[in-house]
Amino acid sequence: MTLDWSIVWEYREDLLHGVLLTIALTVITMIVAIPGGIILAMMRLSRSRILSTISLCFVELFRNLPLILVVYWAFYVMPIVLGIQIAAFETGLIALCLNVSAYNGETFRAGINSIREGQVNAGLALGMSRWQVMREIVIPQATRRVLPVLASTWVSLFKDTSLVSVIAVGELAHVALQIRSQTFRVMEMLTAMAVIYWLLGYPQAKLVDWIHSKFKVAE
Amino acid sequence: MRPCVTAQDRATERDQRGCLLEFDFSPVVDSWRYLLDGVGISLMLSVWTMLGSLALGAAVGLGRVYGSAWLRVPLVFYIDTMRSIPVLVVLVWIYFAMPLLTGLNLSPFWSAAVALSLHIAAYVAEIIRAGIQSVREGQTRAGLALGMSTAQVVRVIVLPQALVRMLPAFGSIVSVTIKDTAIASVIAVPELLRRSETLAGQSFRPIEVFTAAMLIYFLLLVPATRLIDLLYRRVAHLGRS
Amino acid sequence: MTMIAPKESGSTPSPVLIYEKVRKLYGEFVALDEVSLRVDAGEVVCLIGPSGSGKSTLLRCTNALEPISGGTIYFDGRALPSVDRDIRKVRQRMGMVFQNFELFPHKSALDNVAIGPMTVLGMPKTQARERARALLAKVNLADKVDSFPSNLSGGQQQRVAIARALAMEPEVMLFDEPTSALDPETIGEVLNVMKALAEEGMTMIVVTHEMAFARRVADRVAVFEHGTILEHGSPEQIFENPETARTRDFLSHLGWDG
Repeated sequence: MTLDWSIVWEYREDLLHGVLLTIALTVITMIVAIPGGIILAMMRLSRSRILSTISLCFVELFRNLPLILVVYWAFYVMPIVLGIQIAAFETGLIALCLNVSAYNGETFRAGINSIREGQVNAGLALGMSRWQVMREIVIPQATRRVLPVLASTWVSLFKDTSLVSVIAVGELAHVALQIRSQTFRVMEMLTAMAVIYWLLGYPQAKLVDWIHSKFKVAE
Repeated sequence: MRPCVTAQDRATERDQRGCLLEFDFSPVVDSWRYLLDGVGISLMLSVWTMLGSLALGAAVGLGRVYGSAWLRVPLVFYIDTMRSIPVLVVLVWIYFAMPLLTGLNLSPFWSAAVALSLHIAAYVAEIIRAGIQSVREGQTRAGLALGMSTAQVVRVIVLPQALVRMLPAFGSIVSVTIKDTAIASVIAVPELLRRSETLAGQSFRPIEVFTAAMLIYFLLLVPATRLIDLLYRRVAHLGRS
Repeated sequence: MTMIAPKESGSTPSPVLIYEKVRKLYGEFVALDEVSLRVDAGEVVCLIGPSGSGKSTLLRCTNALEPISGGTIYFDGRALPSVDRDIRKVRQRMGMVFQNFELFPHKSALDNVAIGPMTVLGMPKTQARERARALLAKVNLADKVDSFPSNLSGGQQQRVAIARALAMEPEVMLFDEPTSALDPETIGEVLNVMKALAEEGMTMIVVTHEMAFARRVADRVAVFEHGTILEHGSPEQIFENPETARTRDFLSHLGWDG
């Protein structure tokens, strides 16, 4: 088997473009999914039965579906239901946002719940309103607990962006697979794809480890 | 009248011309056996993946905790690599590139089983490591003080407690496995998602078919995780030291 | 310590808190069974009794952290409100000190004390911090102003907690087993702060197991059992001449022989 690795260098611009799209998908999704998750958590913990149930259903639904299926479903269903043609990039983005928001909703809920009831009582005893207790006491502490989980979710999201390649969004996986089809350089492109993901993902994974160690919760 | 398939269709529907925006699940119902076989493949793939990842993951996890330093380095590298690379990439590489390297041609199903196992085993290894390390050191010391060997301590004292603590995390492994089998559709494994795509294409009823697929996956996944939850709650007290 | 309102025996007592046949149920379990008690201004009332007898429950009902199931609690002549906003106003006039201190770990000692005035009373930060500084000095922690709870001993944390409650300038202080979670060496420093507070004329309800403290500082002692008050009276009465046999049993169980 003769390998010609120069093919990777030849297509470096396309690959770089793919990387940028991967990063864009990750960043934009997180920007949407963090507030999204907070809202879902607040809804779940609110005293309104309706809001709580809606949030529960949303979270349970998207946590129990394969992301790749949600991508397909969004691709086929959304144009028909909404009546407008949405580009593949936006479609993929929406699927990712729905999915990650649901996970974050659960993360934030668990984080908020983990704050001891005594802390809430101490705030209430001072005469604070429930909202003030949330803002001053619960959320700052919950953030510390939530950060490591969010970091792990970020890395998972980064990897999951590869799934939107199935609807021809031009992120890294799609670009690499396209080049493979065009040039028939299977080993080179697939290995290059793996290596590029590794180069991007490994530092992120190590960063997550560092965050986990730094924000270790000592009770 | 043909059903609405594109956005263009939807627009014309408003003028009472063109296509039907009614839901017609008959293609789904008619092909239920086709989809059910797909579910069977998905579940088979899940089972093989879980077996593979548990076996490999246990070996790696135990090796990480009790192995020598030179063993730990490649194991950690393997775990971190699987954490960095998407499962789709591993899958595609195993199916398309590995045969070129090894001359071994695996069917789509077995390529998927191998790739998924490799990927998920890394998580299993981490869970096992965390579970073992969460058992208080005093427990190990108590066992050694009684005169037990390290192997006995691990087998009799540490692992039973660790296994109970790992149960919730294993629940999520089951869930992740079943969800990841859907990715195998990319290399044409005839599991549920692949068959849903085919059916959607043939019947021009993507909404109904994919909605049905979503329902089936949901009904598969929710009981699986609930079951593990229930099991954990029953035995949780056994793991507390 | 400055004396705010010297206690005179003979001045007409004004009731700050009146508990009238208070009942509290947790499902089927009766935590409080028609408890009636009166607390006058400037009084220190100690609630003693075995665990689970309802003492802490009564305290938590006093500032409406728990709703009562029956009866009425009167604060300053008016029944405890049920509307959230009015409850908050009432809580601002009461201070609570918890067994587990419950300091906010993400804030320094200074900010823990200042957070009440700042958030609840809307006091500007500098003013709130000034008040906090003065209060921390009062509890002998002037040098720990910038320390975080994780760097303070249990006794120090509890004193910060007392300062935090005092920052709201309450009319009543509720202490829920304030020294139960402390090392023996640090119990004294907290009890001294509480004693000084009592001497200044603060109305205090203290759930405690520290009999020596109750004996010396309390104006009245109420003995709880199974959700009711067995008997109440002056410390001399309770500790030297308990009326009921069960009180005698309880006291002897604690190894108390005067």
